Amino acid sequence: MPSRPSRRIAAAALAAVAALSLSACTSGHEVDFATEVRPILNARCLKCHGGVKRAGGVSLLFRDEALAKGESGRTPIVPGDADASELMRRILHEDPAERMPRDDDPLTAEEIDVLRRWIDQGAEWQPHWAFVAPSEAEPPETDGAWGDGGIDAFVLARLEAEGLEPSPEADCDVLARRVALDLTGLPPTPQQVGRVCEGGYEAVVDELLADPAYGERWAGMWLDLARYADSQGFEKDGPRSIWRWRDWVVTSFNDDKPFDRFTVEQLAGDLLPDATDETRLATAFHRNTMTNDEGGTDDEEYRSATVIDRVNTTWEVWQGSTFACTQCHGHPYDPFRHEEYYGVYAFFNQTADWDQTSEFPTLDSFDEGRRAEGERLVAAIADVEARMMEAVSTPAMDAEIAAWTQRLGDPAETGRVQTFWQNELLRVVGRPDSMRSGADRAFLRYVYAEIADATEPLRKERGELYRAYWPLEPVRTPVLRELPAGARRATYVFDRGNFLVRGPEVAPAVPASMPPLPGDAPRNRLGLAEWLVSDGNPLTARVLVNRFWEQLFGTGIVETVEDFGTQGLTPSHPELLDWLAIRFREHHAWSVKGLLREIVTSATYRQSSRVTPDLLERDPANRLLARGPRFRLSAEQLRDQALAVSGLLSRKMYGRPVMPPQPEGIWRNPYSGLQWVTATDENRYRRALYTFWRRTGPYPSMMAFDAPSREVCVSRRIRTNTPLQALVTLNDPAFVEAAEALAERVKRESAPASGARDLAAAVYRAALFREPSATKLDALAEVAESSPGDEGLRLVANVVLNLDEFVTKE
Amino acid sequence: MTRPEHERRLALQAMTRRHFLGTFSTGVGAAALATFLGAERVFAGTGTGATGTGTAGGSLGAAADPLLPRAPHFAPRAKRVIFLHMAGAPSQLELFDYKPELQRLNGQLCPESLLEGKRFAFIKGVPKMLGPQATFRRRGQSGAWISDHLPHLAEVADEITFLKAMHSDQFNHAPAQLLMHTGSPRLGRPSMGSWAVYGLGTENRNLPGFVVLLSGANQPDAGASVYGSGFLPTIYQGVQCRSEGDPVLFLSDPEGVDREERARTIEAIARINREHHAEVGDPEILTRIAQYELAFRMQMEVPDAMNLAEEPEWVHAMYGTEPGKTSFANNSLLARRLVERGVRFVNLFHWGWDSHGAGASEALNVGFLDRCRETDRAAAALIADLKQRGLLDETLVVWGGEFGRTPMLENRSGQDNPFVGRDHHNECYTMWMAGGGVKRGFTWGETDEIGYQAVSGRVHVHDLQATILHLLGFDHERLVFPFQGRNFRLTDVSGRVVREILA
Repeated sequence: MPSRPSRRIAAAALAAVAALSLSACTSGHEVDFATEVRPILNARCLKCHGGVKRAGGVSLLFRDEALAKGESGRTPIVPGDADASELMRRILHEDPAERMPRDDDPLTAEEIDVLRRWIDQGAEWQPHWAFVAPSEAEPPETDGAWGDGGIDAFVLARLEAEGLEPSPEADCDVLARRVALDLTGLPPTPQQVGRVCEGGYEAVVDELLADPAYGERWAGMWLDLARYADSQGFEKDGPRSIWRWRDWVVTSFNDDKPFDRFTVEQLAGDLLPDATDETRLATAFHRNTMTNDEGGTDDEEYRSATVIDRVNTTWEVWQGSTFACTQCHGHPYDPFRHEEYYGVYAFFNQTADWDQTSEFPTLDSFDEGRRAEGERLVAAIADVEARMMEAVSTPAMDAEIAAWTQRLGDPAETGRVQTFWQNELLRVVGRPDSMRSGADRAFLRYVYAEIADATEPLRKERGELYRAYWPLEPVRTPVLRELPAGARRATYVFDRGNFLVRGPEVAPAVPASMPPLPGDAPRNRLGLAEWLVSDGNPLTARVLVNRFWEQLFGTGIVETVEDFGTQGLTPSHPELLDWLAIRFREHHAWSVKGLLREIVTSATYRQSSRVTPDLLERDPANRLLARGPRFRLSAEQLRDQALAVSGLLSRKMYGRPVMPPQPEGIWRNPYSGLQWVTATDENRYRRALYTFWRRTGPYPSMMAFDAPSREVCVSRRIRTNTPLQALVTLNDPAFVEAAEALAERVKRESAPASGARDLAAAVYRAALFREPSATKLDALAEVAESSPGDEGLRLVANVVLNLDEFVTKE
Repeated sequence: MTRPEHERRLALQAMTRRHFLGTFSTGVGAAALATFLGAERVFAGTGTGATGTGTAGGSLGAAADPLLPRAPHFAPRAKRVIFLHMAGAPSQLELFDYKPELQRLNGQLCPESLLEGKRFAFIKGVPKMLGPQATFRRRGQSGAWISDHLPHLAEVADEITFLKAMHSDQFNHAPAQLLMHTGSPRLGRPSMGSWAVYGLGTENRNLPGFVVLLSGANQPDAGASVYGSGFLPTIYQGVQCRSEGDPVLFLSDPEGVDREERARTIEAIARINREHHAEVGDPEILTRIAQYELAFRMQMEVPDAMNLAEEPEWVHAMYGTEPGKTSFANNSLLARRLVERGVRFVNLFHWGWDSHGAGASEALNVGFLDRCRETDRAAAALIADLKQRGLLDETLVVWGGEFGRTPMLENRSGQDNPFVGRDHHNECYTMWMAGGGVKRGFTWGETDEIGYQAVSGRVHVHDLQATILHLLGFDHERLVFPFQGRNFRLTDVSGRVVREILA
């Protein structure tokens, strides 16, 4: 991105040689829109003449807009005729008041020349690379021979172009530890390290991919994207029971559910022709939105907010697009129009949930011994409720309901209805009948069923059923459920994103700049989900392989994993990204295990992460991949690793969130009685994935190591390095307990007469799977010998759990 | 505090630097030695100056100790900054920008001409004008207009420079807060405090150079990115300190580990990490070594710095502090204690100023008044207290939100609403500065008769940043860091020092 000073310098230089160099060297060449023109438009024009502001009625975002007359009656761009184009006249104007960009430096001679030639050549727009299908390029030829002929060929070709060489393979203990932490989030076993050192790397990779810990590790990544939490958010931030969905994610990764199916089930598992309770459970992905349980809120306002969040999250997770911009206005830079946002909104606008603290609708499940009875009761309750609805769905009842809505102005009448329905009821009733949607009318009938005289015996019957139901302690997981045909909502454009100000009505549709929905695709979430994973979608596979790449290498091929748009960063290896995307979709048939196996067995991944001062100077962020990845472990990996090497880790999977020790005062919420009850059993040592995640009081050691608070989708954790992190691993009781256990474990497993130095070496070995160097062992032994008895060894363990080489994936 | 905890803390404080130094048999290098001998003396005169000649992600080793106190480009007027950020954007029209004409127009429909081409966060259609929801008086010798919602601030009016025509590019909270603190509305740029410590180093190696204090549990809208270090080394990021409970989580050593043992463990960690750095070459390891040393020092000094109970009763009365509570008042007093100890940059975040009028807590006639009460006494006390300690001359205090609010009433429901509010407005609003080289009793910038548009003395957020850096002794165009092929700076590609307000 050129800064303004450099532009000035360029302008001066160019002015001096303009006539000579520009006309002689560049005038014949075809101007490339994406690399030459768009950067100028983005940086200098679109701020005022783009998707947000259309100053003077002029936008240069889309070709049809740029070729249309502005408010002045003049045409910004006349293809083939720069001299007739108002744009040229204005950027060349001598009067600063007339000249564009207004109140800013003029365009440089070079920029003006690019625009002139581009317009003269016909002013063709090209789509941004990410909106074009990935190219099916074969891996490039390279001078040297290195690696697998796939990933490695792309990486090597770039290195050769830069005059660099790849690094040798990492030491086997380092590599074993790297791949185990990457694939399972846990350190390897000593046996696995041994097998890698004996040349059995690929077999160990397969073993790690088959380890149930694999699913737990990758679920961790997915939960950030899904904004998973065990609480509802907002003021009270009460508990939410959605952990069965988290377990579904773990199982899905472990079963290597193809990613296209993984996608469709989460977005539309309830709409599948072969829907089951498992696919319905998957839809809880989009019930991780926050519920506002504060008194007096407008449920429709917060329902709209959840739909908006579902649109934004879907687009960020699968399309790597900052679609959220278009909620209020056209996208400032990318080809998405304001009304198109609501076309996507319409897909998500037909679910039955509406910001109720009860989390309605839910999928109920029961512990093993209670399942039969529980399912019988759920069916019986549903049956009674169906009969209640039937009882209020007669013409006579229509009249009764109409009369009732007339009386609702009377607080006594309103008061008969449950408190949490009253606001919504008054809102619906406040609307003229002609303005009420199907969903509004269904809601009135639904509420009336709860107070009608005609349903009283049925309600009594239901009450009996509930009395038997609650003692079974049902787990009620919030899920998506489509509204029945008669109760659909109409979708309108929200003017400036305000749900109260309705623009034109819109139908479900994908943005016009993207490939269209197939004609026979259902216009619902299922159609959208299948479109996202269809071959024609240019973004999904790229965005996803980039996410997995980023998890392994610390930086994505596109560094802005959340933004593949024109304002995101360009890929470091564009051909590799495309090749991997197609490979993921075609060769691996969306198998994540297949993709990860391909990456971790590449020579690129297996490189040593050691770096020379020269290479560090040349490529500080390792964008060229002339060395292996080396970066600090995630919050989850740090906790799990400490528990694992100390022998404390519980490998128990699944279930309700747990409460390991945390400092007092973290859960301080005046509106909620929810208490942190520290586990004293196995749950104290469960993997970080299972720690209770409360949005307003997240687990402190997780926060210290850059975990997000999970209010909205987060694609990327920005890694930091702070003294607070040192305090966590030095002093957090969870890490202190792990250090003590590690010391005890080593002592237990060592020969009875082992000296302090031998024991210190054993602690290091237990954590890092190699022998310490003499210098390192000297330092550890001094610690071991300076404190009496077992205290010395405990401190050694404390030191080892804090070493850079231990908290880092090398 | 429980009895054993209290004894523990006393023991901690009793551990003198000299004593601690004695526990090092082999030493952990220049950085640690500096801690115990006094960084200033050891490194006096060896600074290289912050001219941005370092390389991105390059070595931060012993040759260029990243926290070394350094001389800026020219003699600074301020050595430290306390930035009081009122997250949510307080209404200038109820505090400083007195508009009798707006009172006259109260309840009338906004003329269409004012709405043309304008964007609002929430206002739709044609709103009504809303007169000032406050009474105003001229205060001090300078005669600054201050509303009666801020009776205490009125007492120190003559210490303050008011910037009445601030403006921002952004009118949503998170991007606007990011712009205010990092110079860019997008994530990933270093914050002002990070730039300050990068440029100046820190005067007290035992405390973080850049401290963040939040009133209440809420982060600013843009989260911790507002005080992140962006592409600068992470050693420069803001450290959040809690004003209740353990001031910094996990500050206390585990049971049974005494200070000498902790010193030995930190030393061993550093030795092994240095050896490892020699093997693998990753500069991040050097940062980690520095962070462990800082953690150790923080364990000693933070509890002392954060202990408000040490303050005499009259100081508590002055600020309205209650030790042990989380409040803006406590944080203000903490800010004074921190700058007294050499902390370079203190960011306070108060929240709840987003007075849309959609509910009581965000209404100008309810929640807004609470916000004024929560902050007025302490903000005024901070100025007075710094002054009486002789610190105000070299400490810059900045107060403000991320943008301002409209002269129009926001009525989202369109119905009768007992709550009164205003929408986001980024074209003019008021901030103020005091101490550290700015004029006393001065007002810069003027808005039109309804407080809708700036008429003169406009100050963009980048101009404010350029001015703050100038007061710290930097040419904002030269305090740079190379990243992704070009030099980046706090003020992006603009920024003008507001020379008119310099004392």
